[in-house]
Amino acid sequence: MKTLKVFGSLIKDAFLEVTHGSRAYHIWMGVLTLIMLFGMYNYSIQLEQGLSATGMTDRVSWGLYISNFTFLVGVAAAAVMLVLPAYVLKNIDFKQAVLIGEGLAVSALLMCLAFVVADMGGPARLWHMIPGIGVFNFPNSMLAWDVIVLNGYLFINITIPLYILIMRYQGKTPNPKIYIPGVFLSVFWAVAIHMVTAFLYQGLQARPFWNNALLGPRFLASAFAAGPALIIIVLAIIRKFTAFKIADETIKKISMIVTVAAQINLIMLISELFKEFYAPTHHSISAVYLFFGLEGKTALLPWIWTSISLNVMATIALTFHKIRNNLNILYVLCGMLFIAIWIEKGFGLIVPGFIPGPWGKISEYTPSFVEISVTLGIWAMGAFIFTILAKTGIAVEMGQLVYKKK
Amino acid sequence: MSETNKKWYSLNLNRSKKSESCGCGSNSGGCNSDKPKDGFDQIMDISMSRRTAFTKITAGLLIGAGAVSSSCSIIGSDESKEKSAMEWEEYFKGNYKLMTDEEKDKSINRLVRSYELNHGKKINISSKNAEENVLFGYAFNISKCQGYMDCVNACVEENNQDRTSEMQYIRIHEMKDGKGFNFEEADDNYYHEVPADGHFYMGTQCFHCDNPPCVEVCPVQATWKEKDGIVVIDYDWCIGCRYCMAACPYDGRRFNWKTPEVPEEEVNKNQHYLGNRLRKKGVMEKCTFCIQRSREGKNPACVEACPTGSRTFGNLLDPNSTIRWILDNKKVFRLKEDLGTEPKFWYYMD
Amino acid sequence: MTAKIKVITQFIVVCLFTISCKHSDEHKYHTVIDKIEANTVEYKGEISSDIYNETIKKVEVIDSDFKFLIPERKSQIVSYKCSECHSQPLEKLKEHKVGEKAAHWNIKLNHAGPETMNCTTCHNKNDFDHLQSLTNSSIDFNFSYKLCSQCHQKEFKDWKGGAHGKQLGGWAPPRLSNTCVNCHNPHNPKFEKRWPVRFNTTVEKERE
Ligand code: SF4
Ligand code: SF4
Repeated sequence: MKTLKVFGSLIKDAFLEVTHGSRAYHIWMGVLTLIMLFGMYNYSIQLEQGLSATGMTDRVSWGLYISNFTFLVGVAAAAVMLVLPAYVLKNIDFKQAVLIGEGLAVSALLMCLAFVVADMGGPARLWHMIPGIGVFNFPNSMLAWDVIVLNGYLFINITIPLYILIMRYQGKTPNPKIYIPGVFLSVFWAVAIHMVTAFLYQGLQARPFWNNALLGPRFLASAFAAGPALIIIVLAIIRKFTAFKIADETIKKISMIVTVAAQINLIMLISELFKEFYAPTHHSISAVYLFFGLEGKTALLPWIWTSISLNVMATIALTFHKIRNNLNILYVLCGMLFIAIWIEKGFGLIVPGFIPGPWGKISEYTPSFVEISVTLGIWAMGAFIFTILAKTGIAVEMGQLVYKKK
Repeated sequence: MSETNKKWYSLNLNRSKKSESCGCGSNSGGCNSDKPKDGFDQIMDISMSRRTAFTKITAGLLIGAGAVSSSCSIIGSDESKEKSAMEWEEYFKGNYKLMTDEEKDKSINRLVRSYELNHGKKINISSKNAEENVLFGYAFNISKCQGYMDCVNACVEENNQDRTSEMQYIRIHEMKDGKGFNFEEADDNYYHEVPADGHFYMGTQCFHCDNPPCVEVCPVQATWKEKDGIVVIDYDWCIGCRYCMAACPYDGRRFNWKTPEVPEEEVNKNQHYLGNRLRKKGVMEKCTFCIQRSREGKNPACVEACPTGSRTFGNLLDPNSTIRWILDNKKVFRLKEDLGTEPKFWYYMD
Repeated sequence: MTAKIKVITQFIVVCLFTISCKHSDEHKYHTVIDKIEANTVEYKGEISSDIYNETIKKVEVIDSDFKFLIPERKSQIVSYKCSECHSQPLEKLKEHKVGEKAAHWNIKLNHAGPETMNCTTCHNKNDFDHLQSLTNSSIDFNFSYKLCSQCHQKEFKDWKGGAHGKQLGGWAPPRLSNTCVNCHNPHNPKFEKRWPVRFNTTVEKERE
């Protein structure tokens, strides 16, 4: 009963907190809202016309939505990787990053779910998935697994920070005995969501481009590069605009994670390229299409080469301590890496899996205006949610929001 | 065929929206004449304008808005009340696979009745189950196929496929002699006199795999393999995730990207729940070996239409069937056998 | 401690169960051919092609192990019986008096070469109501496939089995197949080129 009351009061205070802020904050939220509304309007067009409003066809039947979904699962998973050192190794440095990380995970997950819903042909029938009233194809369908792990992960990532925040809010110290098991679970779970999402593609014998044992590990590596890279950028912004103190040391430690992950990712990329191009088989055609284009169809070339060059440059630069420890350069590198991996997981992974089609035909994919707007809208929604979460979290952490017994 | 439906080549950047304002304000039919209707609407439609308006307002916010709106609205006539009640029940019905016979009958009665209310015509929807000791299979003679495309026409007419997007289950590939089964170089869009010299023809469609990857991956079991080997889809259960499409190695599946349209007079009224009944937008469909025909003992429409006899359909379990003779006596092969999908669709040559 | 282990083992067993469930019945057979062979049984169900074949007059083919129906032919030939005209010697008919209708004038034999075949390879000069085999035994017009099979052995074998020619009606027994002359004109057995009845789908612009 008491917890409920505290919770209610937290919500009220949080609401006050997020509705008040500097002018820049209001403009930021206003812009996000506008983009969201625009996305929603375009989604209503899509609802009405069906998915023909998107650029997808029978040939390339997943596009921008699923690409972003895949990428964001990675971000969500990686955000929590920071949890481990923070909570378990009592490394005080990381703690602030972790709160941000979990907030990021939650908003990334909500974006994931939004992307999945946007991609559905019949969103009104999604209740068919709810166990009990619907039918759930478990354990056969990897998508069913994915739904389970994503929702489970969302649950964990909401409860742990909520618990910590509520305790802090009341001015108490959170009990490690309660949250540490949860933390362990969520780290384990983070790997699981990413592997399961990789298996979603990896398990399809129909698509040789995905049906590749390296896909899962590569997902992990690239996620652990892109996720923390995003966190570094976010931390930098927070440091600049709020009174929240984040030590340089924290950012540098995270950049270590980014570097190692990016290096591993690069090694795996080389391994993949070697396999596809040293002894090219019939199954390498998708890779040929992706990197060099096929028979004059070259839509993906600019994307993938941008991605690869950004990736390689950023990774090499990150490898040198001197460059990495210059924070301003680090932010740029993180930005590069983030974009590189976003392209790689999106246009570089999902789309070429469908090209050429089962009968060797090439038809290319270009996202439509509606599709892009909805995507932007969902990203804006993610940023919106994240801002709210982060603002509340920071206020609580800094002791600005305290439970007042009335 | 309107321009807006031709999304295939274009970027869609300045897709002009069709104007579909309707000022008549009537609730029961009448004002939705110039709007394309999908299968669901063709059967279930009450008042598109109202539903559309509501959907638009609640877009993305309220799941199931369409159904809710139309059944909660205050409607004048008894007929539309009956319709909305039926629509409501249709929305909440279960997966066909798990329905009892009674539930199946009820659902079918609703579908038939709604179609009657909307078009004044009777349709016949069957829910006939698989026969004992029957496993359907298909054989295709690549020496005989001449590329006439009669099968494709017959299929489209039989199975009520969307006319505007030219959905077709069957593809005929024109292959060059001496190149093997080279699908990459095959011409799928030929239009010249056939058979072209130095070419042969090969048809593909859903192969009704015995170990179908599409069925494995469906998260809601909206698609499954029936006892007689036909892989079917419950159109009302499919959520349109298109995972099955990604999983099919044979390009067997087709998705309703937009509202499918079939002119009323061309609708094949002899239907099966799992077969050619009218579909709605956002659901998967594919060849069902013409389940509405084959369960009655007929050959699929493509087999019947083919003038060359390249297509053979039959019961694989019956030792006297022609398909069995072909399997036992001809040099048969299947496509992508290494994937372990075990298609029940064999090719052979003379 | 032991309780814990017990719980874990139970958990694992349950997990394995869920995983192996999938394989219980469906995957009993390695391939679909195994499955077909294991379940082969002559179809004795209630579905029959008879209703779809009702309107077609049929005759039965019995040849070694094969037994199936083909469309009856004689009633479909406009001027059968032939002997109604061919009661006079050929030379007399050829004279062709004014006012009399000409018959067969448009038939030009385009089947193998003249050194292999002419009219009398198949038609019996003395008994116009029957065909004749290479060894001059008479063949009923209904069973003209016997004539074709003299040369086209391979096609004949395929046809009997069902790999050549079209099956009419349904898939269920009794089987009714087109006979040779239902598709091939025996005087000009080759098919002409023609236009396909429609485009293949234009939905996707694919690799040309
Ligand atoms: S051909 Fe494709 S759609 Fe048909 S059963 Fe096989 S996997 Fe499924
Ligand atoms: S598109 Fe429909 S049938 Fe295919 S996997 Fe998704 S829900 Fe199942």
